[in-house]
Parts: sequence; structure tokens; C-alpha cells
Amino acid sequence: MKDMTDIRIPRAINWNRVQDDKDLEVWNRLTVNFWLPEKVPLSNDIPSWSTLTEEEQRLTIRVFTGLTLLDTIQNTVGAPSLMPDAVTPHEEAVLTNIAFMEAVHARSYSSIFSTLCSMKEVDEAFRWSEENPHLQAKARVILETYAPGNDPLKRKIASVFLESFLFYSGFYLPMYWSSRAKLTNTADLIRLIIRDEAVHGYYIGYKFQRGMERLPEAERQALKDYAFAMLFDLYDIEAQYTEELYDGIGLTEDVKAFLHYNANKALQNLGFEALFPSEVSEVNPAILAALSPDSENHDFFSGSGSSYVIGKAVATEDEDWDF
Amino acid sequence: MLDSDLNGLDYHALNAMLNLYDADGHIRFEADRMAARQYFLQHVNQNTVFFHSLDEKLGYLVEEGYYEAEVLDQYSKNFMRKIWDAAYARKFRFPTFLGAFKYYTSYTLKTRDGQRYLERYEDRVVMCALALARGDEALAMSFMEEMLSGRFQPATPTFLNAGKKSRGELISCFLLRLEDNMESIGRGINSALQLSKRGGGVALLLTNIREHGAPIKGIENQSSGVIPVMKLLEDSFSYANQLGARQGAGAVYLNAHHPDILRFLDTKRENADEKIRIKTLSLGVVIPDITFELAKRNDEMYLFSPHDVEKVYGVPFSEISVTEKYEEMVDDKRIRKKKINARAFFQTLAEIQFESGYPYIMFEDTVNRMNPIAGRINMSNLCSEILQVNEASEFNDDLSYRHLGTDISCNLGSLNIAKTMDGKDIGQTVGTAVRALTAVSEMSAIDSVPSIRRGNDESHAIGLGQMNLHGFLAREHIHYGSPEGIEFTSVYFAAVAYHAIRESNALAREHGESFKGFETSDYANGAFFDKYTDRDWLPESERVKALFEGIDLPTRDDWAVLKEAVMQEGLYNRNLQAVPPTGSISYINNSTSSIHPIVSKIEIRKEGKIGRVYYPAAFMNNDNLEYYRDAYEIGPEALIDTYAAATEHVDQGLSLTLFFPAEATTRDINRAQIYAWKKGIKTIYYVRLRQAALEGTEVQGCVSCTL
Repeated sequence: MKDMTDIRIPRAINWNRVQDDKDLEVWNRLTVNFWLPEKVPLSNDIPSWSTLTEEEQRLTIRVFTGLTLLDTIQNTVGAPSLMPDAVTPHEEAVLTNIAFMEAVHARSYSSIFSTLCSMKEVDEAFRWSEENPHLQAKARVILETYAPGNDPLKRKIASVFLESFLFYSGFYLPMYWSSRAKLTNTADLIRLIIRDEAVHGYYIGYKFQRGMERLPEAERQALKDYAFAMLFDLYDIEAQYTEELYDGIGLTEDVKAFLHYNANKALQNLGFEALFPSEVSEVNPAILAALSPDSENHDFFSGSGSSYVIGKAVATEDEDWDF
Repeated sequence: MLDSDLNGLDYHALNAMLNLYDADGHIRFEADRMAARQYFLQHVNQNTVFFHSLDEKLGYLVEEGYYEAEVLDQYSKNFMRKIWDAAYARKFRFPTFLGAFKYYTSYTLKTRDGQRYLERYEDRVVMCALALARGDEALAMSFMEEMLSGRFQPATPTFLNAGKKSRGELISCFLLRLEDNMESIGRGINSALQLSKRGGGVALLLTNIREHGAPIKGIENQSSGVIPVMKLLEDSFSYANQLGARQGAGAVYLNAHHPDILRFLDTKRENADEKIRIKTLSLGVVIPDITFELAKRNDEMYLFSPHDVEKVYGVPFSEISVTEKYEEMVDDKRIRKKKINARAFFQTLAEIQFESGYPYIMFEDTVNRMNPIAGRINMSNLCSEILQVNEASEFNDDLSYRHLGTDISCNLGSLNIAKTMDGKDIGQTVGTAVRALTAVSEMSAIDSVPSIRRGNDESHAIGLGQMNLHGFLAREHIHYGSPEGIEFTSVYFAAVAYHAIRESNALAREHGESFKGFETSDYANGAFFDKYTDRDWLPESERVKALFEGIDLPTRDDWAVLKEAVMQEGLYNRNLQAVPPTGSISYINNSTSSIHPIVSKIEIRKEGKIGRVYYPAAFMNNDNLEYYRDAYEIGPEALIDTYAAATEHVDQGLSLTLFFPAEATTRDINRAQIYAWKKGIKTIYYVRLRQAALEGTEVQGCVSCTL
């Protein structure tokens, strides 16, 4: 870890001397993907929200509260804790962007709440999130790994598991609703979050792999064992969390298959082989297909879609105006 | 996964498998067909109300107030049995899941609690035919034939509403002018509410409203400009919807030389302040030729205060050709103005399009040059295909009319190009469609907005569109945008124009009347026909000749005969063609949208009512995939060339969307706009972007995700 005394010569970041091209590629991707929840017309989901049963509404609010907690951790602790470990100044810059977007995500769930639910319901759900043992347990596992003094690569493992695995038990529900034509604008917003998280998990995993390459074989093996052990722990918690949430509407098996799929994806981001065999990772096609944000042909009159980005501005030249 | 594994899945999962390749890398078309079948078995059949006989069914539906008795009373029982038998004998089946799903969620008649279905597809088609034919049995039969064969598909408001007792209007689209006074703005908002309640999209012209900071009653810095009007409109549209069937939707158009133009565009910025952000209202910019000329010279462009322009010229800003009066207005001290760099304006336009897909663009001078009707076109509509002249209204203090102007409405319907070609009788299909659309105009009387009513009564404007161009070309193993593809488009659209005019001329003969203003149009003096009598519009290559084998095409002699007939007897419809984007109706009609290239081999369709559903391009199978290059691969030029060939023969507009990969720059968008303008394109609809997933983050095996 870099400490503050290390800064003998303060250096300005020079984006014209990039040591790792991946930093620039991911920076560009994240910045063009910038968005704010205000762009999504969430209020169009109000009629659809009222078609959900009370139980379904409560489930949905709880799922989003759970996601809010994870985003809060990632925003205030996770991404900042990775910054001192950054090996390039550009990596630090990317991490600040990640940290900021996590705050936007956490903010977005509140936009959903304020549009669709009453204060009382939301307060109840936040209380629930503070008291739910499974949610608290997974938060604790992650936070302990993020603690100062811990191994930088272990922090990256925790971060990838959070970004690429733990979020998805929550993402399942809005994807499920949207495949049933419910809460489709909320799903748009979640898809924007997924678009970001996919890049975050991938990037931190990439940095993890670069870090691993510099280690001797024995340490690499130890880290791998550590990662798998941590995933087992998290999976146990996640399975119980899933049962508690989804048993009521009978979706637990489906969600678990989705968890397996994403656990494998998280391991892939870290450069490890899959853990769950493909038979138990067969995700419901409606959910899997719903994950892809690109090339969706949305109807502009009822939503805003998730494929627009901040464009690259280039001035036209005389030759362009040759008519 | 083996096919036998498909059995346990529900129809949503089966449909979604379309978007996931099988182990051999093939697209799973069979999963979608099975999804359509399972949808009927698991859902539709058990939720459809069963009747023992047609009599029982019609009796029940009329008595319970679902069907309009007046529609059925025009026909004998005997005939109704005949038309229903003929319809059911065709054994219609939805070839795709989305077609069936869309029809049952959005079109079919349901019980009042929304739980059970009262109609099958055949019933909707027959009711539509009976309503539009207004008692003419032979005509009802041909409407039914053309619709059920898939050759002609009325637009959503007509297909959804015809024959139902409690329903919205049959008209698709409305366009309203706003003038620079509070009465006009207030009345405009009321009209937007009234029209949204009844269905159909509404576009409003903001060009005439004075800009932010303009004086009111001579006191400086008083006006708030166009943004607050947009806010009011946006809220009005979200308030009103058509019995919950369709969300209210609106668009606003502003001239590029209006001083508020940059504020107008900034409402769609990603980081726009909540107070000025416009989320659901669509934007359109009207760009005259002079703006391009100024940009070419890299000059500044002047923006003119509409209030002053109106004072100086005595007519609203929108009545003035900015291109023509530009220098004059620049030199006129009485007109306050500001300036921005013309190229920077185009770049800003493209930046906003990147972020939001908006604004639409209307090339004002191209549109007016190609308009055969006397008067000025100053705006388009929600889908940028309606281009008609209008006339300002004036109001008294109590909002009554001092002068009743005309506003615009349009009745749309589209032909399926593949089915029309298969039918071999373009004349019959176009003629029947023109009659069906004319019926919508004659049956409509929007009394809540008298200027719309007057416009419709005097013009009987209709908009016959086309769809499934890409599907047809691909089925025939022709690439979209290839020379043969463009040649086909030109010949086909010329033939449609001929038959549409021929039928409208026949209607004028039958009614003994023409649309108001016929005498001053280019139809009356014959000038419109010059380009058809000077040369033939017939196929030249062997490939395209073969496509038209067995189909009668109009020669220049046919056109000359038609010219004489029109000059003598007139035309019933002021406007005939307009090519809409065809979202929903192309899914139930199993077509590719409009004359666009496909957006993806497997299209992900998402909208409020149906959620996320997957749709295979028409006629596509695992052996002809090479002809289904999507719009992003085809690129803007081939698309614009195809549209240019069609535009030549369409009196109104065509919704043209441009497609870019997310790596494109604003310069790429600007170049495409310049190219479109140069090629005589009239309007540009959305800009759509596709961002490829970052390598390593994509969903594995997803059809729509691969480039």
C-alpha cells in the first residue's frame, strides 16, 4: 500500500503516457456510459407497480434495499480501498469513476423508491436490511476483506465477487418482471447499472490477474484457494438469502441457477475456471437474454432505452461540406 | 440443449431462446415457433371466451356494449356469416411469438376486467373491414381479403379501434400550429389533451413563439421562451392516454434559426437540470438550406426573434422561408438577432443525438420544393413522415375562433411489400388500401379541435406506407442497399404512386369533388406528372425484371392518360403516401419494419405493454442469414440511397432512422446528415446507437450481441 509519505514528488496524471492501455479503454467506456437516474421515466411504471401483489411489492423493495446496501459499500469503502493499491495513476482515475458511479447506483434505487413506494414501506425495508442476518453477513465478509492492511489482491477478489456475483441475486427480480412486461422502465435503469457493473467486475478482475502474474506459483495457489473459499462462504449466505427472499413466489431454483452462472462469471473475471457445472448454471433464457443492453429496439414513447451514450465530438472539416 | 428439453419451458423462455445460439451456432427459430404455439396452449385458448355460434357471439358483444351495433346493422346476417366463414377458412396462424403476443396484449377486444379475450385475429380483421366499408358488402370483402392475406395493414389506431363501442379515434397522427400568443398556446395545450385522450400522437410547432428574454407588451426580458411551453406539454401528454391503451405521446418542432434553439436541444442533455430536462416529449428541428450553406462557408448563423419577424413581415415566422429572406433579415435593424457558429450548431445537434436519439430533422426547403400543394410546410409529426400544409388560427379572448385555420391529421396504413408482390396485383391492393384510409378520414370528425376537423374535411389526407422491404429483398436473395435493391425500390414506389393517384382520381369522380386547393396544386396544372411522362420508371436489370414478372407496371403512356384524368376530374385526397416507421403492426404482420434494414437478426423489442420480447426478421432462416445484414453493418449511405429512391415517389415523408455504432463520432453523424440532405431526403427520424459489449463482459452466445 502506498502511504502518504510516499508522495515525494507530486505528479500530474498524464493521459498521453498510458502504461496500461486497458486503463484508457475502460476509462473511455465508463465515461461514455455516464448516466443519471433522471433520464429514465420511472413514473411510467406506476400503473405496472400497482398490479403487483403486496407480497411482490415488498419483495421488490427489499431486493432493492439489499442492492442499495451493496452499492453503498462499494461506493464508500470498496472502490476507495482499491485506490491505494493502484499501480498506475490512470487506474486510480478509473477507480474514482467507479466509486462515483456506485454512488449514482445507490442514488438510483432511492429514485425508484420515491417514485413507486410510500415512505413507510421504504423505511420498513431499510430497517429490514439492517436486521437481515444474511444481508448483514455478506456485507461483513466483504467489509472485512476491504479492511486496511489486508492483501491488495484479496481486496480485488472481494470486489469482483461483489460486482459480478453478489449483485445478481438482486438483479434477477427486475429482469424477471421486465420479461413479464412489468416495471420495464425500472428494468431499464437496472440494465444501466448492470452495464456498469459488468465493466467494473471485468476491470478489477483484469487488474487482479495482472497482479497475480507477478507472484510466485505458491502464492498464486494460496490466493486461488482463498478466492474459492471465500466464494463458498458467500455462496452459502447467498443461497439462504435467496431462499428467504424468493421462496414466497417460487423462484428460488431459477435464481440459484442464475447465481451459479454469475459465480462462474466472477471466477472467469479473476482468471479462474468455473466452479458450477453447466447443468446447474442453465439460466432461464428470458433472464439471460434480458441482460444484454445493446441493440434493443425500444419504443421511445414509453421508455428511454439503455443504449445511448455520451458521444465523441469531432468537428466537421471543409471536405465534409463539399456540395 | 436438445429439442426435447424445450418442452418444459414456458413461452417467454422459449421466445428468449431465439436470442441464444444453439450448440452448433444456429439460431433457434423452432423455439420461437414453439413459443407461439405454447402461448396459445398455455394462455390464449384457456382465456378466450367461447361462443357456440357467430350469432350468439355478435348478439352478446353488441348487447354487452363491446361492439358498435351501427357497424353490424349495415349488413345482412347472411353476409356476415359469409365474411366470417371466408375469414376463418383462411386458417390464419401467427408465425412468431411476438406477433401473437403483441396482438393479444395490445389489439384484441378483452372483457372489461381485462382478463379474458373476446376476439381472435380473424374477428378483429372482419370488424375492421365491416366498419371501414360502411355497408358496402363487396368493399368489406376486399378489405378483409387484403388485411387477412397480410397485404394491407391499417395503422394501430384504426386496427385497434374499428368496430368497438368504447374506443379512441381511428386517426394516427395530429399536427398543430402554435402562434405567438397566450390564447394559441392555451388552446394548443387543451388540444393536446383532447387528442391524446382520443389516441394518436400529437406534434406542435413552436417556431412562432417568441424567445426567452423577448419583450412582452414592449417591456424587455419578459418572455420565458419555448422551454416552459414544452414542460407544460410534456406533463399534458403523460396525463392523458387512450383508455390506458396507448400512452399519450407528443413532439415539438422548432426552426433551427429560432433564438431558443440551443436551449431547446439542451433539454435532452444527460446532465440537464431537472427543471429544464425533457424526458418523454420528442424534439424535431426544422433546418432550411441556408443553414447548410452557412456551415459550408464555416460562417456564423443568425437566429431571428419570431416576434420581430412577425412584426416586420406581418406573418408568423413559420410562413417565411428563412433561406429566401436570410440576408434581408440579417440586414434589417428591426429584427433582433443573435448568432452562433453554423458548424458548431450541427455538432451540438449530433451530440444530443448521441445522448438521446433526438432531435428529428426536417429539411425545410427540400420538403417545400417537392410539395405539389400550394402553401408552406413548416413542421412534421411524431414519426416525421407527415408533411402537409397548415394555416394559422386566430382567437378571441374567450378562446373562441376569430379565424378558424387548418391543422393536420393523418390516417395511416401500410402495405407488406412481399405480400403485395406475391399477390401480383399492385393496383388492386393499393386501390383497396386507399379506399380504406379514405374511409377513416370520412368517418372521423374531431370536434374537440375544430382546426383539425376542418383540415381533415377539406383535404381527406391519407398516408399509405410500406413495410417489409428488407424481408422481401432478403427472401429474393438481394442485398439491402445493393443496386438491384435500390432499383426495385424505385420501380415499386413509382407503381404505388401511380395506383394511389389513380384511385384517388376515381374517388374524385365518384364524389364529384376534389380536395380544397386542388386548383392551385401541381396536380391541376399537370406539372407534377412531368417526371413520369418524360421517362419510364420500369425495371432495367434482368434481376429486377424477374421480380416483377406477371405484374402490370404503369408505363409513361399510362401516366399520360392518368394526367389527363386528374387534370379534368381532380383528386379526392390532398395527400396520399407517407411511410411510417411501423413498429407494432409490422410484428403482427410478420414484416421487417418500414423500408428500414433490420436492426438485428433477432430484434429485442421492448415497450411498456409487452416488456422484452425477441423477434426474428421476416423470412429469415439459418441458410439465408447473409442477406440479413443489419442496419449498423449496412451503414448510413446504403440506407439513405434506398430512401432517396423511394422519396422520389412519395408526396409526404418517410421515417428514416440512422444507425451508428457507439464508436462513431459526431462528425460521422453530421456527414450522414449532409449526405441525406444532398440526396433529397426530406426528414430524419431517430439516430440509434449500438454499443458493443466490452470484450470479456458480453453475454455468451447471444445472437443480438454479436457484431
